[in-house]
Amino acid sequence: MHLRRAMPALAGMVLIISACTGPGASASPSGAASAAATPTENPFADVPAVVCVGEATTYLDWLNGVLQPDVQDPIAEPAGTAGDLLETVQSNGVLRISTDSNYEPQSFREPDGSWVGFDIDVGTEIAERLGVDAEFQHQDWDIITAGSWSGRWDISVGSMTITTDRKELFSFTQPYYYTPADIGASTRSGLSTIDELPFTLPDDVEAVTRPTDANCIEEIGAGRPEFDLFITSGTVIDAATNAGQPVVRISDPLYQENLAIAIDKAGPDHDALLFEIDQIVGEMHEDGTLTELSMKWFDEDLTQDPGG
Amino acid sequence: MTAVVGAPERSSILDHLEAAELRARRLFRLKVAATWLALIGVVLFGLWITENIDFAFIGEWGPFIIGGAGLTILISVVSITFATILALAGAIGRLSGNPYFNGLASLYVSLARGTPLVVQILFVYLALPQVGIILNAVHAGIIALSFNYGAYMTEIFRAGIQAVARGQREAAQALGMREQLVMRRIVLPQAIRIVIPAIGNEFIAMIKDSSLVSILAVEELLFRARLVGQQHFRSLEALIIAAVIYWILTIVFSRFQERLERRMARGDR
Repeated sequence: MHLRRAMPALAGMVLIISACTGPGASASPSGAASAAATPTENPFADVPAVVCVGEATTYLDWLNGVLQPDVQDPIAEPAGTAGDLLETVQSNGVLRISTDSNYEPQSFREPDGSWVGFDIDVGTEIAERLGVDAEFQHQDWDIITAGSWSGRWDISVGSMTITTDRKELFSFTQPYYYTPADIGASTRSGLSTIDELPFTLPDDVEAVTRPTDANCIEEIGAGRPEFDLFITSGTVIDAATNAGQPVVRISDPLYQENLAIAIDKAGPDHDALLFEIDQIVGEMHEDGTLTELSMKWFDEDLTQDPGG
Repeated sequence: MTAVVGAPERSSILDHLEAAELRARRLFRLKVAATWLALIGVVLFGLWITENIDFAFIGEWGPFIIGGAGLTILISVVSITFATILALAGAIGRLSGNPYFNGLASLYVSLARGTPLVVQILFVYLALPQVGIILNAVHAGIIALSFNYGAYMTEIFRAGIQAVARGQREAAQALGMREQLVMRRIVLPQAIRIVIPAIGNEFIAMIKDSSLVSILAVEELLFRARLVGQQHFRSLEALIIAAVIYWILTIVFSRFQERLERRMARGDR
């Protein structure tokens, strides 16, 4: 029958049509339509109502309205160190630290392959005070924040914000610094404050995610048009602006982040290691080391609790 | 006797024809090379004209990116070695009269060829820890690549073994050799000669597939190129560097393989 012979062609056409009218294609036609339809009284009317954030970040939580900032649980002095991760680390002589190495100025690479940044310096100092070497491993942020590290590394010195959800997966030390979460915009959008936007955050916007917030800035810098707005730590936006990337901060802090060192609760016993590192962080606050590092990388002292 | 230029009385007509053929072949190769250079030149010129290529970036970060090639080659070499061993066992299994061994081998081939390589890589690294097997990224990548390529190479080796003339096997059996001895001393040595070109091809493919291991944050060529390219939004320069290095590696190993094939074919002339 003719129908039988036409089947492959029909099936092919159905596939092609569904692909074209699927979610992939709908973004651009509707965007163009709305841009043409809105009268341009507000010069920022064609800024897409899309905000870019990093995967598994508190910025995404804020956009989705589920942010739960929190403080670290009290850290008791451990009974002993037998069988603790601290012992393993000290006998191996190496503290393995995970970090996303594309996150300037907290963690990034130099042309000779070395690791540099605020988090890198903090991690190196902690390892030194523990009497061991620091070994850094690049890991994607969403893998670090998922927990269950399978013992592949010992601690995360990655500017992780303490939240209620994360406390179920991680043991946190006291914060080693605090940053504001800010909204940034591309310079091509011409925005200078969020009040200029014709829509409100976080209600009227759609969130898109990238592996890290740094990728959001990089995509804007590479000229990609999908979004002009992004949320990240104020330090990251400032570093990007100073490095000549086409972004600016456009808001007051949305909230303050308590950034601490995290250890996987699903890993080996680590009460002693947690206590030791917490002590070290306390010492680094008191003896001014953290302030010094903060001035070096951020040109301001972000190590004092803003209490906000 | 080859043609002697300038002394037609010492050259035969066959020699002239041979010489003319040689010249024609050389001219052809020259024109092909010229076409290559012209096309590459056009592409380079096109890039240069956009004035968007940051040569300072290439100079500054090139060495870091290219440094990843070491790990790429290491992963490829180790993986192809394991894959070859797996393939030999698999091929013998596929040809085996023992139904259990045969079943194991055919299941392996079907499974490894039937699931995407990237899924296998992620599986070894991310899924196995849930059943207690924790491997570091490089080991996970090598195991996945060996597992996957071993299956494809199994089929190649099987064909190679079957290609060894039946007469060889029958002659060996007539001499009273047991099956194992036949396989070990007569069939496999000849089969390996047939499959070495195939191993070469697989190795070249492996060099490129090793780039998939970058998703495990292994610091090989592609990972470094993406890291640096994204960080400084110079992905064009960074990825071109990576692509060119992969290309060079492929060409170099192709040359090795051609020489090896010519060497092994010498016995046939």
